[in-house]
Amino acid sequence: MEPERPCPLCGRNIPWGQTQCPFCPGHGGYFWSLRRDTFLLIILVLLILLFVITGFAVRVYHAVERGFAEDWYTRGEEDLRAGRAEAALADFRTALSYSHDDERYQLRLAQALMAAGQSRGAGSEARTYLLNLLEHEPGNGTVNLELARLAARDHAVSDALRFYHGAIYGEWDDDPVLRRRAVRLELVEFLLDAGQKDAARAELIALAADLPDDPPLQTKVGDLLLRVAGYDDALKLFRQALREEPRLAPALAGAGECYFQNGDYAQAERYLTRPVQQDPHLTQAAAMLDIAQAVLRLDPFNRRLDNRERARRAALDFNSALMRLQKCAAQRGIDLKATGGDPLQALSAQAAQLQPRAQQRYLSRDSELLSQVMDTVFEIEQSTAHTCGEPQGLDLALLLMAREQGGTRP
Amino acid sequence: MRLPLVTPPVPPDKHPPSASSIWAEVRKRLSWVQEGETLKQAQLFLLLAVIIGLFSGLSVVLFRIAIDWAKLLAFGSALAPPWTRSLLVPTVGGLVVAYLVIRFFPRVRGSGVNQTKAALYIYDGYIPFNTVIGKFITCAFAIGTGQSLGPEDPSLQMGAGIASALGRRLRLSREKVRLIAPVGAAAGLAAAFNAPISAVLFVIEEVIGNWTAGVLGAIVLAAVSSVVVSRWFLGDQALFRIPVYHLVHPAELLAYAALGVMGGVSSLAFVKLIAYARPRLKALPRWTQYVQPALAGLLIGVIGIWFPQVMGAGYEYIDQAMHDQFTWQILALLAAFKILSTSLSFVSGTPGGMFAPTLFIGAMLGGAVGGIEHHFFPWLTGGVGAYALVGMGTLFAGFLRVPLTSVFMVLEVSGNYSIILPVMISNTIAYLISRQYQRASLFDLLSRQDGMDLPSMEERREEATLHVEDAMRAYQGMVLNTEDPFQVALTRAEASAEVFVLLKDGRERWHGIKKDELRGWAPGMRQTDPLRDLIPETTLPYLHPDLPLDEALRRLGEWPLLPVVSRADLGKLEGVVGLPDILGAYRAAGRS
Repeated sequence: MEPERPCPLCGRNIPWGQTQCPFCPGHGGYFWSLRRDTFLLIILVLLILLFVITGFAVRVYHAVERGFAEDWYTRGEEDLRAGRAEAALADFRTALSYSHDDERYQLRLAQALMAAGQSRGAGSEARTYLLNLLEHEPGNGTVNLELARLAARDHAVSDALRFYHGAIYGEWDDDPVLRRRAVRLELVEFLLDAGQKDAARAELIALAADLPDDPPLQTKVGDLLLRVAGYDDALKLFRQALREEPRLAPALAGAGECYFQNGDYAQAERYLTRPVQQDPHLTQAAAMLDIAQAVLRLDPFNRRLDNRERARRAALDFNSALMRLQKCAAQRGIDLKATGGDPLQALSAQAAQLQPRAQQRYLSRDSELLSQVMDTVFEIEQSTAHTCGEPQGLDLALLLMAREQGGTRP
Repeated sequence: MRLPLVTPPVPPDKHPPSASSIWAEVRKRLSWVQEGETLKQAQLFLLLAVIIGLFSGLSVVLFRIAIDWAKLLAFGSALAPPWTRSLLVPTVGGLVVAYLVIRFFPRVRGSGVNQTKAALYIYDGYIPFNTVIGKFITCAFAIGTGQSLGPEDPSLQMGAGIASALGRRLRLSREKVRLIAPVGAAAGLAAAFNAPISAVLFVIEEVIGNWTAGVLGAIVLAAVSSVVVSRWFLGDQALFRIPVYHLVHPAELLAYAALGVMGGVSSLAFVKLIAYARPRLKALPRWTQYVQPALAGLLIGVIGIWFPQVMGAGYEYIDQAMHDQFTWQILALLAAFKILSTSLSFVSGTPGGMFAPTLFIGAMLGGAVGGIEHHFFPWLTGGVGAYALVGMGTLFAGFLRVPLTSVFMVLEVSGNYSIILPVMISNTIAYLISRQYQRASLFDLLSRQDGMDLPSMEERREEATLHVEDAMRAYQGMVLNTEDPFQVALTRAEASAEVFVLLKDGRERWHGIKKDELRGWAPGMRQTDPLRDLIPETTLPYLHPDLPLDEALRRLGEWPLLPVVSRADLGKLEGVVGLPDILGAYRAAGRS
């Protein structure tokens, strides 16, 4: 038994033997006179009432918050459109402070942070928002894409690949096919920048298999395939594009380059001529056209040529190769008259032996000699390219012929 | 053909129930909660814990909304208010809060933790209900108008107040009413923090001081139900968005150790500032108490013009610090200004909590230390956010001196177990530094300044408990056997230095007999009669060396001494303990 108990009203101890607190002026009235079970029931009713009141208050407050959030969000969009990136960030942050879970705000803030970029910790904050969104929607294409961009910016190749693929196979609200294609193109650009040509080529082949009849798009993918040396696949796309639009200059240039890279200089010349004429800015195509034309002009093994022309070309090629040899030797300080272990000296000696007979009148009569002379020419071009780097102009044409194992030699 | 309408017959004994019969049935079902049924008190206590949790959760939800609403009305919807509001709102708010506190709610001063402890240890669990109302109104107003305080400790006190009112009204026993306040405290804190484990641990670590099985279940129930309510209405998102963290190299733990040192030093500075300023401001004339919160508000407003982050609880800025939004210089300034502004708010007598400011300072300090370390050691892989997260726990350990809660708080808030090593290292260092240079913890210091001698949980944790082995001595004699012939037993007893002789029976049970009693039986006994016919049936309680010494006192009763036996072999005597031995051990401990 307790010697004394605290007064439920004032907290002071009721002395032993007394039933009422002597310190309280009167007892607590009806509320304190209730039986325990009745009081417990009243408590339950109060609890329900408080639940309702709290629910109402929370609902009203959330409505107010949502209103503020929407206002700040709209303001942020306006600031963003007006190019006020920092103000937009502050606006989106304020919007989000009133509506923490709104995925639209989170995504927009993350995008704004990434766009602002230079602000401190933008990546980290954006990543946290995006990862949070991803947790709720692992298949969200937009979120995956933004995360992929973030990873790409940080040069995290494996993460970028994972998120890009998440975006490609993810869900998109509007025009999913177009979006997925755009993401794959972005992924290819990223892979090319990261030097991952094989992976890029695989993505491009997958992309090419599902392209619509859209000549500019086909041309774009073809161009990307050219960057990964997928000439055959690229050529198919350029041809498809040209079927729809035969005068499409980039497609013509692309096809020309494919032929050029495959060593078909006649076709290359055919496809490259028109775009180079149409667009003077296609400098690379123009250079390729020049080289293709040079190859066609210098190749002595063309079947349509008569012996005289064949000999003339071989003699010209020989003289050109000799000049290239002398220039390269001078550049490297090699004395061609001396005998030593240098391959250029050996080639010089070999050329010196051939030089008296490497004239049009001998070559037109002796096809064996012509072959011998051209072999020497190719050897000189390859050796000098190895020693002094890629040549320009006619020598480049000769080198390409050498690489094609003698051009169109029968 | 129309069928005749037939009313189904009503059975004579099945009348539709009346309101009074339903009421009677409900009361019958609730009859077990009637007063005077001791067994049912335990069930009622648990039911009450759930009800307290629900009420606390609801009140905390309303409290949070009241704070946010006050803030919106006072400062507008922008995150950074215009400078005029920064100056005016906390000043006017301070004046209003001071008036309310002095005129209507004098008990709501302070954070609420010590008041709850006082209710437990001094006032038999009594917390007047108007404290709950006062705490709600004044704290919502103070925090909402920019005073640098937090809502957690007031929530704790509100929970305790609700629990106290319910417990008293339901006429629980004194012991239960006393224990009900911590139950409510846990519920309030859990709802405010959205972290039930941390709340339970804090209440056990700082308020109750030990793991009392009788109240632990109720505390857990209350905390869980309050968090359920809080999440129901406010959502289950964490207070902060936690940055990704992985410990890449163990050498990085050194960097967190440095954070622990900084956290310890900052905690010391914070506590010393409060310890120095609070009694001095309290000693000023009474009229100044009306203007102290206003002046504190004005100074905070001045700081807030450049650093609006220091106003209010500042959770959104903790979140930003975790995501590398500030340079380390700004973070360091924010930590310093928050220490200053929170000290100003607190020592001026403005009611409000210290938890949120502690987390804020810790996060800023952690971020600053992380930023500096990254500047000098760029190879460190842990992001600044991870340092901010660890910093929160570090200051919690150093400033509030609750090491266990500080570790679990970070784990619970982050949901990331891999952060545990840095947290443990940093928190321990901060705690040790704080303990070394500031003997009393903040809560103990405040209670002593208020003229109360509340038990220090920290000191209690470190009290050396005396065990039986500390008082035990060797038994100076031979243990008799109940089968011994009387003459042999008497001879052996006479040879013993003990006045109380121990005996052991064939079942390894212990008995005892006074030497004088044995001598008294000698005239009527034959020499060969066995002792077993003489000794009483009652067996002697025994002890083990590892038992607490107060257990020996309980078991000793009227016996002159008790045997101390091995746990592995109950027949093996290791020593004996008597009342003089026990008192001697206590005296020796008191002297040391």
